[in-house]
Amino acid sequence: MATRIEKIRNIGISAHIDSGKTTLTERILFYTKRIHAIHDVKGKDGVGATMDSMELEKERGITIASAATYCEWNNHEINIIDTPGHVDFTIEVERSLRVLDGAILVLCSVGGVQSQSITVDQQMKRYKVPCIAFINKCDRSGANPFRVVAQLKDKLGHNAVAMQIPVGLEADHEGVVDLVTMKAIYFDGDNGETIREEEIPESLMDLAMEKREVLIDAATLFSDELTEAVLEETPIPAEMLIDAMRKGTLERKITPVFMGSAYKNKAVQPLLDAVTQLLPCPADVSNQALDLDQDEAQVTLTSDDTKPTVALAFKLEDGQYGQLTYIRVYQGKLAKGDTVVNVRTGRKIKIGRLARMHANQMEDIVGISAGYIGALFGVDCASGDTFTDRSVNLTMTSMYVPEPVISLAIVPKDNKAEINMSKALNRFSKEDPTFRTYVSEETGDTIISGMGELHLEVYIERMRREYNAEVTSGAPRVAYRETITRRSEFNYTHKKQTGGSGQYGRVAGYMEPVDGEEFTFVNEVTGGSIPTQFISACEKGFRNCLPKGPKMEFPVTGVKVVIDDGASHSVDSSEMAFQAAARGAFLEGYMKAAPVIHEPIMKVAVETPTEFQGGVMGSLNQRRGMIIGSQDEGPMCVIESQVPLAEMFGYSTVLRSLTQGKAQFTMEFATYRQVPQSISEEIAKKHQEEKKNVA
Amino acid sequence: MLKNDLILRNPLRLMGHENEAIVPQGGFGAVLARAGVGKTALIVQVALNTMLQQKNVLHVSLDDPVDKVNLWYQEVLNSLASQYHVRQIKELWESIQMHRFIMTFKVEGFSVPKLEERVKDLTEQQIFNPHMVIIDGLPFDESLRSPLEGLKTFSVNHRLHLWFTVTTHRHQTPGADGLPVQLSAVGDLFDAAIELQPEGKKIHIRCLKGGPEDSEACDQLLDPSTMLVQEP
Repeated sequence: MATRIEKIRNIGISAHIDSGKTTLTERILFYTKRIHAIHDVKGKDGVGATMDSMELEKERGITIASAATYCEWNNHEINIIDTPGHVDFTIEVERSLRVLDGAILVLCSVGGVQSQSITVDQQMKRYKVPCIAFINKCDRSGANPFRVVAQLKDKLGHNAVAMQIPVGLEADHEGVVDLVTMKAIYFDGDNGETIREEEIPESLMDLAMEKREVLIDAATLFSDELTEAVLEETPIPAEMLIDAMRKGTLERKITPVFMGSAYKNKAVQPLLDAVTQLLPCPADVSNQALDLDQDEAQVTLTSDDTKPTVALAFKLEDGQYGQLTYIRVYQGKLAKGDTVVNVRTGRKIKIGRLARMHANQMEDIVGISAGYIGALFGVDCASGDTFTDRSVNLTMTSMYVPEPVISLAIVPKDNKAEINMSKALNRFSKEDPTFRTYVSEETGDTIISGMGELHLEVYIERMRREYNAEVTSGAPRVAYRETITRRSEFNYTHKKQTGGSGQYGRVAGYMEPVDGEEFTFVNEVTGGSIPTQFISACEKGFRNCLPKGPKMEFPVTGVKVVIDDGASHSVDSSEMAFQAAARGAFLEGYMKAAPVIHEPIMKVAVETPTEFQGGVMGSLNQRRGMIIGSQDEGPMCVIESQVPLAEMFGYSTVLRSLTQGKAQFTMEFATYRQVPQSISEEIAKKHQEEKKNVA
Repeated sequence: MLKNDLILRNPLRLMGHENEAIVPQGGFGAVLARAGVGKTALIVQVALNTMLQQKNVLHVSLDDPVDKVNLWYQEVLNSLASQYHVRQIKELWESIQMHRFIMTFKVEGFSVPKLEERVKDLTEQQIFNPHMVIIDGLPFDESLRSPLEGLKTFSVNHRLHLWFTVTTHRHQTPGADGLPVQLSAVGDLFDAAIELQPEGKKIHIRCLKGGPEDSEACDQLLDPSTMLVQEP
């Protein structure tokens, strides 16, 4: 690990599902000699691409977990995170982007910019990750890389500039013309490993000249030296052009575009050159941490081995040797035998074994320097935890974790499944912060929640495959609540004389709605009409009524109870009697206080290409949604609305079909609001039926 | 204080106007001021009053995101509520919120046909039928005549009351008709123009066009701390 920091690249490969990023990664590993044979994603040979380490991924041909791997190219060390492509796994992508310094945006030359490319691109924007684009599958019928370059500009707003042009397309795709060196590059040998440089074919010369002009024109914005050279019409050295492009790329003001076909082994090596030439090294990127001793003031970290260590655990995996924690060291270094502190828990950890990962194979190492990505063994922590040496109390900026948008109940088939299920849930919720689980107090069911239907489906399937836990899942549920809308008075006497000592207690007062609080209890009893020792019994009696509201058995919130009078009996009054009296008083007052049902209202933001705006607004309106506004952002627009959660189930499918999959939405809890009368009646009916079924 | 009482505190009414009658159907109104003086605050008060009357307001903002515009409404309503001792502000807001729709564009992405298309999307699906439209942040430059004429047609066709905010500049002297230069080429399209003029610690609200005969009634003050119209 003696490599200088300028020679390190931490990159991600982000793209739409099926645009071939796993194949591309596989080729990169092959050319960098990390693997010695090439396997296909949906492999006929039963091996599968090296990066897809989970069985399920191999079967579906998709990448779920972001396996980290490293390789070397041109004396540079490249750490690659293979990111998942599906929208329902965005936390994985987001987590990867958090630790990356640069990315390759892979696009399909036939499909072009698709909805997931848009999502991934927005995530890159959020984390300000500089990127280069690779237009893959130029060998496919219908390939048109220049259309994709135009889409990068129009749909994603990138200042996309082609660095290459293809030599032949579709079945005739042979190689590329490098517009910087103005040479045609061909890839010979069984696996394209032999690079042959030749003069540009005559037929492509004009196009190459034209595209080079465009490239130089775009690059001049970032280099005065280059502008001068252009004005003076002196020859432009390749380094000068690349330096200018690198500057623009690091500022995210330009996106260099490369093209080829990973599957046909065309033009992967020039892409690797570009990674080393154009993407940033860890020192080029500013990373911030929060100082917990200074009221979370921001601290800039420097990729310096001699400074106090700050490292982030960004990915956990359950391997055959226990928990494997992927870690990025931002400052200082981690070495075998060091003791570090998990800032979240305060627990000290001694580093036993460090490894550099290559998908599911590994290589032991002695230390991880600043700017590096590696893995720890047998460290108990959660994803997103920060480790420091004890000299500083810093935490990495909390990663943006979207709130789960969907939840459903799961029931294990048998006892064995139940034990395995709890193991699996424990692991998944540690691995993935967007996957949450809890036991519903109301129903006693185990509820899982996550980012989408597919997200939860995959976890249910993983439970079955990896943990042998068979579960059945129920329909998603909404957490309704009850509250009162006006003040009402109560005066209730609990009296029982059924032999033995009797029960007597009278509780009087009023209840009224209260904003922002679940329950408030005020004792205004004077003159000892309720003896002091029974006041807490009264409160307990009232509180016991809250979990199951008298109207429809939903939890009661927003109620203030004031007791101001009562009566007791010297022999028959007891705590139990006053609890019962309070319960009676609550019921009496509650039904007079015009109780209503409240439902969770979600803030829903839909991001859609403008052409679907009308349809999307209609779909939200149909769901009892109130549209707050629409925000035009060039080719895309964001529609902000408030929609009852109960109406949002299945919305992702509706939205996909409504917008050809080009829109995406985020949903977070906004507030509780009263359910309209008609809906309230429906809920009541449903509730009655459920009750009957249970009986 | 009830909703109706709040309606009576309408800033335009305080200035001697019977509500938004200052701008007829299909007409244009403008609130002019230098940057940061309180154009948006005043226009939001006008909008809130229209919403209190259960009439729909379409707020078109150029460059500000939806959340920021929304925040203006919340802030102004909170100030109004505390000035006039309105309790249960949450209920009040929930009862009028559906009368407002915010639409934001990037300045360069805004065009009249685009706005018309968006409004059509809303009206055809019965999602929102605007009564008043506010266009906040439109740059008033020489090339504006033709888009404004387009908006005029749009406004007449949909029988809307259209309000604009216009940013003026300290160094510019008013035109011959007394209107700021921003309106001089398009002044004929406007039925009313209200200017906010800071003088020392006070902000005067003056009707440059379409005001009542009595100019005294028109000269009001805006409270710089709350940006609300001060009561006489």
